[in-house]
Amino acid sequence: MSNQPTNLAKIDLPGIRNVLAVASGKGGVGKSTVSANLAMALAHQGAKVGLMDADIYGPSIPLMFGLNEPIDQATTALPLSRHGIKLMSMGFLVPPAKAVIWRGPMIHRALTQFLTQIPWGELDFLVIDLPPGTGDAQLTLTQTVPLTAAIVVTTPQEVSLIDARKGLQMFEEVRVPVLGIIENMSYFQGDDGKRYEPFGSGGGQRLASQAGVPFLGQIPIDQQVAQSGDAGLPIVASHPNSQSSKAFQELASRVQKDLASFQNPVKLPTLEL
Amino acid sequence: MTNADPRPIELQKAGENALRIIWSDGLSSEISWKALRDKCPCAACRDESQKPQDPFRVLKPSELLPLKPVRFSTVGNYAYKVDWSDGHATGIYSLKYLREICAR
Repeated sequence: MSNQPTNLAKIDLPGIRNVLAVASGKGGVGKSTVSANLAMALAHQGAKVGLMDADIYGPSIPLMFGLNEPIDQATTALPLSRHGIKLMSMGFLVPPAKAVIWRGPMIHRALTQFLTQIPWGELDFLVIDLPPGTGDAQLTLTQTVPLTAAIVVTTPQEVSLIDARKGLQMFEEVRVPVLGIIENMSYFQGDDGKRYEPFGSGGGQRLASQAGVPFLGQIPIDQQVAQSGDAGLPIVASHPNSQSSKAFQELASRVQKDLASFQNPVKLPTLEL
Repeated sequence: MTNADPRPIELQKAGENALRIIWSDGLSSEISWKALRDKCPCAACRDESQKPQDPFRVLKPSELLPLKPVRFSTVGNYAYKVDWSDGHATGIYSLKYLREICAR
């Protein structure tokens, strides 16, 4: 592999049928939660799934799968396998309390290595949990990986929607099809059975119709989602019958169905000189 | 949205000095390699092209050789990158930009 950051030769991932990026503009909207649960739900539906944590500075996937300690690379092979999913994250290599303080080209290198030097094997889906924003990690992935599609996560309030719009614009610019927008933390069911929407109503739906992309659904606020994540077992596995789990399972079914129509992306022609 | 924009469906060499692109909307455009290099969108070239040219500029040896592309490769699904014979390789020509300079 070349160390030059300008080397943008596209990587071939022959064993991986679909590469799906989970993105947002704003941080803290639940990308990692959505990625982890989407990956679990896809695996429950019988698919072979890998989950790659592209957030080098703040990896969250290890915690969500109960893998808080860095591994000994001499004795443990990457990717790690947990609950039937293959996992890769910077968090497996660096202790949780240690900061990774890197410039962009290092991020580029690490992500390229995650993709090419980790034996992912045969996968139906590789879900990539992106860091927030539209920076180095996003550029590397859109320029080097044959991304099949992307999902944009937002919460209903305007402050998150503004940045989700930027995420959408980025994918449009680099011609990665957007499968749709998923709205997280949409509402919660009170003890009185009523539906409360603390962050406002209909934001994700509105953004989707403005941007002309599908709206993939709402994920409710649920204490169990956070607790399960922190305990190392995503809610889809720990409470499969909860409202949130059902929302994630519906999302997974939708992703499977929609990606079937993306199977043959039109490739750009090349020229031999 | 993105799928509506024209995209190249075929690339050919138009003789030694130019590139022919057949676009999805039927347009067949030709652009010389020289013009393509002159319109390199990378930060360094854009900066350079905005300065008035220095009439007493001394050419580097590599600039005296006829400039040729050595590699024309795709970047993601949205752009092309050209590696030139003088080693310059930082220009990423998005399909939109390529179409713009070809249609001119």
